[in-house]
This record gives sequence, C-alpha cells and structure tokens, in this order.
Amino acid sequence: MPQRDWYRLDNAGVLYSALKKEKYAPVYRFSAVMDERVDPSALQRAVDRSMPRFPSFQVRIRKGAFWCYFESNHKAGPFVQPDISNPCQPMRDREDNNWLIRFYYYESRISFEAFHAISDGSGALTFFRTVLAEYLRERGVDIPPDPLILDVGQPPKAEELEDAYGRYAGKRVLRGGFQKTAYANTSPQEPFYTLNVTMGLMSVAALKAKAKERGATITEYLAAVLLLSLMEKQRAEHPHRERPVALAIPVDLRGWFPSGTLRNFMLTLRPCVDPALGEYDLEDLIRYVHHFMGLSLNRPEMQAAITGNVRFTRNRFLQTIPLFLKKPIMAFSYWLVAARPYTATFTNPGAVRLPDSMAPHVRRMEVILGQATRPSPHCAAISCGDVMEVTFAGTGTSSETERRFFTHLIRGGVPVKVISNRTQREVL
Amino acid sequence: MSYCVNCGVELDSTAAFCPLCQTPVRNPRQPVNQDGPAPFPTEPGEVPLGPRRAAAALISAMLGSVALCSGLLNLILLAGHIWSLYVMGAAAMLWVFVVPPLLWRKLPLSVITLLDAAAIGLYVLLIAWELDGFDWYVHLALPAVALLGLIMLAQVLLCQKRRRSILSTMTLVIASAAVFIAGLELLGDLYFHGEWGPSWSLVVLIVAGALEIPLLVVRWVPSLRREVRRRFHM
Repeated sequence: MPQRDWYRLDNAGVLYSALKKEKYAPVYRFSAVMDERVDPSALQRAVDRSMPRFPSFQVRIRKGAFWCYFESNHKAGPFVQPDISNPCQPMRDREDNNWLIRFYYYESRISFEAFHAISDGSGALTFFRTVLAEYLRERGVDIPPDPLILDVGQPPKAEELEDAYGRYAGKRVLRGGFQKTAYANTSPQEPFYTLNVTMGLMSVAALKAKAKERGATITEYLAAVLLLSLMEKQRAEHPHRERPVALAIPVDLRGWFPSGTLRNFMLTLRPCVDPALGEYDLEDLIRYVHHFMGLSLNRPEMQAAITGNVRFTRNRFLQTIPLFLKKPIMAFSYWLVAARPYTATFTNPGAVRLPDSMAPHVRRMEVILGQATRPSPHCAAISCGDVMEVTFAGTGTSSETERRFFTHLIRGGVPVKVISNRTQREVL
Repeated sequence: MSYCVNCGVELDSTAAFCPLCQTPVRNPRQPVNQDGPAPFPTEPGEVPLGPRRAAAALISAMLGSVALCSGLLNLILLAGHIWSLYVMGAAAMLWVFVVPPLLWRKLPLSVITLLDAAAIGLYVLLIAWELDGFDWYVHLALPAVALLGLIMLAQVLLCQKRRRSILSTMTLVIASAAVFIAGLELLGDLYFHGEWGPSWSLVVLIVAGALEIPLLVVRWVPSLRREVRRRFHM
C-alpha cells in the first residue's frame, strides 16, 4: 500500500478538532493493570515497534485554509512518561512533538491517552492491545500471533485508514429536529488541571446475574442505574422545573457496517426520560433502556443518521468558510446538538478480549473519558476477565452522581470497591 | 479491608476517607496504610499554558503596524492635520489594555485597573494637546477619568476581597454606574456653569435606586434569595 502522508479528518474528527483549544480537548484514556511493576524501557521499545504499524495514530493535526487535516508525524516519540494524578489533560499544538497520543506508567498500570479525533474506543483498543502484546514480548512472555492483535511486522492495511462514515453514507437523511435541553448536572468547577476520577470495581458475573434477572444486558442495566441516579440527584436539588435526563451512549458501528477502520466509526444514542412526567423506578428505567436500544439499533436508521452527519461536514456552504470562522460555528453546533441535550455520556466499550497467552498478565482494564465541555462527570465502563470497571471523571467538585450510582449497585446486591485520585476532602 | 460506613463501598487500603461521601475511615483492625502505593499517582502534570508571550508579541506587532501605517498615510493624506496621532494613541491605549496582563500573569487586578485608567487619561491628554484644549482637560476630562478609575478600583477591591454573589455584584455595578453619572454631571456643571444643578443625573439616580432597593431586599432576605437563585439558576 502506498504510504499516505496526510488524511482528511472523518466526520467525528471534524467536530472534535473544532473543540480543541487551550484549556480543553476531547481526550480519553485506556489503562491496563499488569501483574507486575511496569518496566518503562520495555514499554518504550514496545511503543517504538508498534507505531509504524498504525499510521492513523502516528499523526499530528495541521490547520488548512478550510479544514484541519492529519499529517504523518516523523518527530521522535511518543515517549512513555511517569503517570500524573490528573489524566486526560488537553493536547496543545507545538508541544510534546505534536503527538496526539500519550503513554504513562505507574506501579503496575500502563496508560494510553488519545485525542478523540484520531480514533474511537474500538480502534484505540486494537492499538493498545497490540502495544501490550509487544510489551509482554519485550518482557520475555511468549505471545503467539492472534487475530485479536495486529502483527507489527506487517504493513498497515488500506481498510484500517478508511473513512467508514463516508463509505456508508447513503442518500436518505434522518430528520430529527432539535432535542430539548437536558439536566446539566454541573457543580462548581475545580481549578484548571484538575480531573476528579472515581473508579468502581465489581465482578462481571455478579453484575451479569443482576442484569439477567431483569432481562437486560450489562450496558442497559448500568445505563438505567445511571439514569435513576441522575434523576434522583436533580430532584434533590429542588429545581424550579425538572429537565429531562438524557444519556449519550456511543455505539460501535462496526457490528452493523463491516469495516476494519481504526479511525472513528461510532454513533450516539440518546435514551431520555422526563422526570416531569412522574416517578420512574429502576424496573421502569431498565425496561425503557432495553426497548429503546432495541428500537434504535437498526441499520437503515443508523445509516440515515450517518448520512446526515456526513452531509453536514460536506455542506457546500460550510466548505467555503475559512477555518478560523468555521471553528466557532462547529463548536456552537457541537454545543447545540451534542452537549446541551445530554446530561452525561455513558460509554461501555464492552468486554476486552485478550489472547489466552496475554490474559494471565493483565489483571484488569480501565477506561477514563476525559473532561466534558462543562463541569459534569462522564461515565465509562470496561471489563476484562471477571473485573468490571466503571469510571466517573469530571472537572466538577461534587461526587454526588457517583455516590448515588455505586450505592444503587450495592443495594442491588453488587459489591463495589472504589478507588479515586481525590486526595483532598471536598468541603461540604 | 475497610468499607465506608455511609455508602457501603469497599475502600482502598490507602484511602483515609471515602471518595464518594468524604466519611473518614476509622478501622481499628486495619488502620489506613500510609506507606503503600496509592491507586493513582499524587503528582499532577501541568500542560504548559499557551504561548502568551507569542500572543503578546503578535498583538504588539499588529498594533505597532497599525500605528506606523497611519503615520505614513498621514504624510500623504491630509498632511496639514496630524490625524494619525488619534490612531497611534488608540493603538497605545489598546496595547496597555491587552499586553501587560498577557505578559505578567500575576499582575494584581487593581494594578491593571489603574494602568487602564492612566492609559485612558493619557489618550485624552493627547487629544487635548492636539486640539489646544488643556483647560477642559484639566477641569473636566481628567477628573472624569480619575473618577472612573477610582470607581473601577473600588469595584475590583470589593469583589476581590470576598467572592461576591451575582446579586451583590449586580447591586455594586448599578450603584457604581449611578455614582459615575452623578459625578459626571457635577463636573460638567462646575465646568460649564460654575455651580451644580442636578437634572438628568437625577433620573439615572432614581432609576438606579428603583433597581437597587428590590435587589437589596432580595439579597438580605434568605427565603427570597433562595427563590431567586432557584428560578434564575444563579
């Protein structure tokens, strides 16, 4: 395959790059907690060996006259560095050799951060799994080739770099209209540089059993518990008028639209309940989320939604606007359609499958969704083996959402262990 | 292992309090492990702030080029009148407004306010010099700018000392505006008529008073304050 030197941003990348500024960038983090302390030099060698296999991660973002674009980054790095207490810091131009990914290590934890414009969770996990496999090989573990990890000796495949949104955009557009403003769930903002992270660790088997009792999947069960926690929190604040509570649940589209892309390819669903209509209990919410997901996950509707998003970025009028004017327009559009109508994001990349040779060396996986555009927490979940990890991360001072969420799980019969980077008690 | 007595969650052995509800950990059988590694690093990483010096240099260059170009144009267009002084003075005033806060991040707001007032005073002095108007400058413009500077300084000091609510800030801003308008009329009357005869500023003072009284009542009555905060999401 001829080596490409620059790439157009995909539809999601266009929006995320418009949001990138001095104090904010959409960044997420995946971590693997290994069975022994991390060897930084072995990790650096693993990163160096893996990077050429993933050209879509080996990029920097450049500003064109009308659009941003990715360009191959030939500078040294990315370099592994000791971990910090405040993950997912903004990524700025002209720093860290323009890399849009970072690697950290702390005790037995290896962390990988990525700017959301380059890849979604599924693509990033493929990359991270391959780096972990290389790391274990560097440590002397025999990791045979496996379909779950990519062979770093092979050249990259063309389909890994494709813009899958463009490929599957059809002719019909899903007309939705503007969604109602949702409950914002904000609290006083922490000083810049602070990201409060609270993780809950629980057994996948226990959670699965509880979800199955109610005829739901783990994602549906957790989403319903989160909706209930947010509704209760809003009610406890005694607002003048209760607003709808809505979640943004990203869905990996590769299951419906076959693609080997490692770039963004997801769509967001919006389960939404209006507390003004009356009281909802957990059973109601589980039923609602279950049927909502079932109804929304259909191929024609998703394709029409993809088409609408692609049409927006290919709009002739928008294309003629210079980038410096376009960025605020895109940022406003993001606020209008992707921030204002949502209370929180809940993402569950699902069970991380590891080759049998790797599994004994990885104790658990963790995921952190970086700061939101406002001081409210995002929620993310991931599982590996029998450990399910749920993270709340945000720049607000309050820990009320996570307290309500985890206590609901405990009351429901799922024991939870909580760890956090909060080192100072919040002033109550 | 310790559990939070309030939330019921299991806690890390290094946790001194529950991260969810802040309840301190008191477990005589297993005291908090202060030597073991915490689940997360404790050292924060700081992404270096943006190139403020570069921004300051860019703004300085832009304002400087505007001043230089207007000076050169003045040699060709309307050469008998030094109109470019107004543009140069405005560029210098804007430079004082924008560049020092970019270069010296720890500059107190009170100092920035005084600098801004001084810049306005100097710009008006330049106009007075060009128009041979030192009389109105000394007796009208300078006292008006000084009054504005003092009022802004008082605002900054009052709001900086303790974080004020939106209600208190609004009350202060309206009161300051009313005082400035009254002072402006007083200075104008003294300069033009030699005596104070309040007229139009009284209208402003009455309107400001009509706004201030309900704001003060809301500010001091807790139930009203809570209601307003709830209705306006303050």
